[in-house]
Amino acid sequence: MKIKISERLDDLNSLLNEIKEASNEIGAVTIFVGAVRGVGKDGGKVLRLEYEAYEEAARETLEKIIEDLKVKYGIIDAIVEHKVGSAGVGEDTVYALVASKHREEGFKSIVELIERLKHEVPIWKKEVTDKGSQWVENP
Amino acid sequence: MAKVKVKYFGRLRELMGIKEEEYEVEDATLADLLLNHIPNRHSEVADEWRQSIFITIKGEVAVSRDGVPALKNYFVLIGGRSPEITYKLKDGDEVAILPPVGGG
Repeated sequence: MKIKISERLDDLNSLLNEIKEASNEIGAVTIFVGAVRGVGKDGGKVLRLEYEAYEEAARETLEKIIEDLKVKYGIIDAIVEHKVGSAGVGEDTVYALVASKHREEGFKSIVELIERLKHEVPIWKKEVTDKGSQWVENP
Repeated sequence: MAKVKVKYFGRLRELMGIKEEEYEVEDATLADLLLNHIPNRHSEVADEWRQSIFITIKGEVAVSRDGVPALKNYFVLIGGRSPEITYKLKDGDEVAILPPVGGG
């Protein structure tokens, strides 16, 4: 398991190679990439997103989520990286990789991981557009 | 006397203009800290603070029958745990006040 909350995400291919080394039982790696959309909630042109995190708590919450997924779906390993600081349009902000024996538990796990990340992990995002700025709360 | 550290995040950090600060309180609960100590120190944003953190009715903080104020959808963590609002603050407590999250 690897969790990183940082201003700079690692290279995605390196993460893919890293997680595949966790076990020779891995038959699927399911990947989610979150990126900055160019159109804001207010309809304006996005200039940047500003992320901040309560890092200790975010890390602990993500660890708990991954442990839960291991128990629930039997996944082998997971990596989550989340950006903090400023991110421009098109920039990657989240990498989540789930390694499993088969695709089915990988698909289910990645959906649940991202949903829980968006609702439970103490990370906040301010959207700055050409119309103004606002803190975005996940619905 | 208990010295506690308070941490603000997201829109609260922006409202308060700081990331963290310390309070010295005596025989105080978490509710005392949120309802009195913090808004008293930050009187210029006290109304917005109360309306952010607590459920308010006509600008007044809503309280239950036993006098406990009702938090909005904000989480408070002390030492990584979510305490009751009647929790009595202890020396060295670190109080993190978390707005609704928005990651991803």
